[in-house]
Amino acid sequence: MVLHTLSAAPSGAAFNDCLKVLQAGDTLVLFGDGVYAALEGTAACDKLRATQAELFVLESDARLAGIAKTAANISWLDMDGLVALTERFPRQLAWY
Amino acid sequence: MSALTADAFDKEGFLRDLSQWNKQVAQQIAAAENLELTPAHWEILELLRAYYQEYDSSPAMRPLVKYCAIHLGADKGKSIYLMSLFPGSPAKIGSKIAGLPKPDNCL
Amino acid sequence: MPGAEKRSVLVVMRHSPYGSSLAKAAVDVALAAGAFDQPVDLLFTGDGVLQLFPDQDSHSLGKKNMGRQLASLPMYDIDRVYVDAEAASRYNLDTATSPVEAKLLDPREMRQLMVGYDHLLGL
Repeated sequence: MVLHTLSAAPSGAAFNDCLKVLQAGDTLVLFGDGVYAALEGTAACDKLRATQAELFVLESDARLAGIAKTAANISWLDMDGLVALTERFPRQLAWY
Repeated sequence: MSALTADAFDKEGFLRDLSQWNKQVAQQIAAAENLELTPAHWEILELLRAYYQEYDSSPAMRPLVKYCAIHLGADKGKSIYLMSLFPGSPAKIGSKIAGLPKPDNCL
Repeated sequence: MPGAEKRSVLVVMRHSPYGSSLAKAAVDVALAAGAFDQPVDLLFTGDGVLQLFPDQDSHSLGKKNMGRQLASLPMYDIDRVYVDAEAASRYNLDTATSPVEAKLLDPREMRQLMVGYDHLLGL
């Protein structure tokens, strides 16, 4: 099981490279420009959900971007939550 | 040909401009390291230069040992053999005398 | 460090060889791990497969040749190198011509590969 973090916008190579290896049992945290993949009704969001990975978006970054509400099946995450996740996963991979 | 002046070398004694290297320069660097070059030394120095040509980098100890084993045989592909020729840090001192940059991953 | 526990690392190479310093950093990390006898394998994915093109010539620009540095991986006993087959195909890269021998993986095999390591490092 891998904790992935994505900080690049869904139009870029990092998003596609991440999507390719994301799988059920993994967790993905969207932050920075990665939060735009949490927009409901976008192809990026649909593709992430199809992987059946557990999906989070960093609340402060999403709010900064003007995303007031996450798409279905994507949960808010605060800093404490992020720290807790990093403690839970020995394997982590940053996509940027 | 006269010896190179001090400013041809960096603080650790590595040649700044690799194209200035020749056998006389090698002997000059070796003398600064208190080493007298024998045919056994030259064999390793030539191998180091071949490694640099092939891989565009100076080897750390581990790859140098392996490269020697492949090209000179198992007897010479041993760290103890290289240590006897270039005491201390064979990859680093050998690279220096061979006119190569300092290896990246060297103690 | 004699007796130190060895942890396996997969370095995930995702960037083109000369567009940034990330590819060079990734190769440096891999070679350093190899030099100190730490188990390290490599996966080239996405634009990272561009590092595997043959005949890279950096001489006229005075840069380090990434292709030739990758060719030295076996000298560091780094013998397990994997390539994202989709990405290789996208760039029409024939891995048989690559500077280092590499095994093609489909996305499912890439996912299986990743869970077999203690640590992952993406660069």
